Amino acid sequence: MTNAVEADNLVKRFGTLTALNEVSFVVHEGEIYGIIGPNGAGKTTALRIIGTLIRPTSGTVRVFDIDVTKDSSKVRGLLSYLPEEAGAYRNLSGFEYLRFMASFHTKNSKELDRMVEEGAAISGLGNRLEDRVKGYSKGMNRRLLLARALMVRPRLAILDEPTGGLDVVHALHIRQTIRDHVEKLGTTILLSSHNMLEVEYLCSRVALINQGRVVAQGPPNELKDRYRAQNLEEVFVEAMKNV
Amino acid sequence: MSSSLRVLLLKELKELLRDPKILVGMVLMPIIILPIMGGAITLSQEAVKKELASTSIAVVDRDASIASSSLVGFLRYTNQTVLSIPLGDEKQVISRLLETNATLLLEIPQSYGSNVSKGDIGILNVYAVVKSLGLAESTRGSLIEQVMSAYSYTLSIQKIQELLERSNLTRINPQNVYAPLSVNYHSVVKGKVAEAAPQAIVGLLMSQGIMLPITMIMMLTFSMQIAATSIAVEKEEKTLETLMTLPIGRLTIMIGKLAGSILVAVAGAFAYMVGFGYYMNSAMGFADRGSTSISLSSLGFSLDLGAYLLLGVTIFVTLVSGLALALSVAVFTDSVRSAQSIVGVIYVPVMVPMLILMFADLAMLPLPVQIALYALPYTHSLLASRAIFMGDYITALTSIGYITIFTVIVLYVAARIFTSERVITAKIGPPRLSFLRRYHSPS
Repeated sequence: MTNAVEADNLVKRFGTLTALNEVSFVVHEGEIYGIIGPNGAGKTTALRIIGTLIRPTSGTVRVFDIDVTKDSSKVRGLLSYLPEEAGAYRNLSGFEYLRFMASFHTKNSKELDRMVEEGAAISGLGNRLEDRVKGYSKGMNRRLLLARALMVRPRLAILDEPTGGLDVVHALHIRQTIRDHVEKLGTTILLSSHNMLEVEYLCSRVALINQGRVVAQGPPNELKDRYRAQNLEEVFVEAMKNV
Repeated sequence: MSSSLRVLLLKELKELLRDPKILVGMVLMPIIILPIMGGAITLSQEAVKKELASTSIAVVDRDASIASSSLVGFLRYTNQTVLSIPLGDEKQVISRLLETNATLLLEIPQSYGSNVSKGDIGILNVYAVVKSLGLAESTRGSLIEQVMSAYSYTLSIQKIQELLERSNLTRINPQNVYAPLSVNYHSVVKGKVAEAAPQAIVGLLMSQGIMLPITMIMMLTFSMQIAATSIAVEKEEKTLETLMTLPIGRLTIMIGKLAGSILVAVAGAFAYMVGFGYYMNSAMGFADRGSTSISLSSLGFSLDLGAYLLLGVTIFVTLVSGLALALSVAVFTDSVRSAQSIVGVIYVPVMVPMLILMFADLAMLPLPVQIALYALPYTHSLLASRAIFMGDYITALTSIGYITIFTVIVLYVAARIFTSERVITAKIGPPRLSFLRRYHSPS
């Protein structure tokens, strides 16, 4: 099995703060891998390093065997990144935004149209895509951004808190979209969440992270068995006792 | 142009021009507000002209002499409406004046005629009714002054003529006695002789000398504000992170922002100049124009193609350095407000040399100030532009070289910041009034 992501002994310091402390994990191609933990645990920092936005203080990350620090531009061609607090350009319409983003991934006009059509379908926003983004609700905005991330059919999609702050209807739509996309196209998804029930529903394997350290990792069922827990929240509490 | 850059540039233009703050504030406002201001000034000037045309002069002739009749006749000759007011003491005369529509009163005292014929000073009293504090009042005052001065000249010539006739010196023109000198002023500019007083030429050049820095300041401040806003909006609206993970070079993103800002700034500056030009024309319309018919091109100040190119290069490198400076600084902020405040600080080294050079030459200033100004790159933007107008290409090229070196350094720094993680992690919030909190925080 090919590895989509290999993080090895990642350390990231911001001044005196250690955000990541010797974090290692592997994401296999075609799986949904979840990084879970409370706010400030280091999830976003790990995803930003893999997404080529920031550099590790030490340690390495390889995406499909390409080093993210040494060859970041090549890595950017393979992935799509959805930041936690992302926005779209307020003065563009939903369609204009999708077309703008798609045009960085292909020069072929047919492929461009295909991406925009697929993006429109994934978003499920219908005619509202004609409207300017500044009139969108938070849920609509998130659906547009997820559509942007998936329509280009990346080999690796990094989704930071994809349903964070959304109501049940929008959160359900997004979870279903992620699952459908992976089943249909075999895209690798690396997501973060502090909603452990959501991760249990979506992910084939997870890493529990706290204060910059991985405290446990594996498939959700295996972790539940290991810690004799009913769900991942209980696993997290038990794993923390052993740190 | 690479397709990624074209796409980015189009997005920048759409975003900037659809932003009401930029479209209305920087492009539409100058082109609408300034002409409206100019129009308002023209309107008030027309009203003043109309008011002056209908001004009547009331006359109280206490002298009733040939000399006083001659003066009243002169007033009528100069198309003034003259109203005769019956005699009385000052109070009565003023009250009669206020009953008429006249706003000026000329009182000819009893001794006027005899004084003038004896060769003494003829004294006249003028009363002006001040109704408001507008421009019309002062202009009305100067109107009677002009008429009196013209009459005084006519009287002088008559007197001189009488004296010359008495002395049998009729071959002498009385006007030559009144004004024995006539000076033809010439100015030598760039080796060419122009038949005009230096102050006329300096006046003409001054308008260029002021317009050039104003244009530069406007273009620089517009574009720096736009560039800072464009990067700060990306941070505030949380779009920058996504942009930075797209398969495009970060330098392309930076160049896209620079190019978008330049285009919008040029549109803004053009709108401002059109509006400002109209405003200046309207505002200056009242002043006496046409007193000099010298044109800049007749003095050799016209620009050939090479000079235009050099001027273009000067403006371009100046703009690029200003934009790169604004981008580099705004990258460290996390909101449009903070970016605009922090860019406001950079205006100081941009505007100070231009404001100083608007009124003074560098050589006039104390040596330390000269050194400080020479060190500032934006001084050279203006020096280069002026040198191009004067045909001094060596100075122009030296200054362009200096700004170019500065621009390359700023671009390098901006590129380094853009390719580092600081573009994502740096955050300077709005200025915090920490000293206030210190005083108000419960201890």
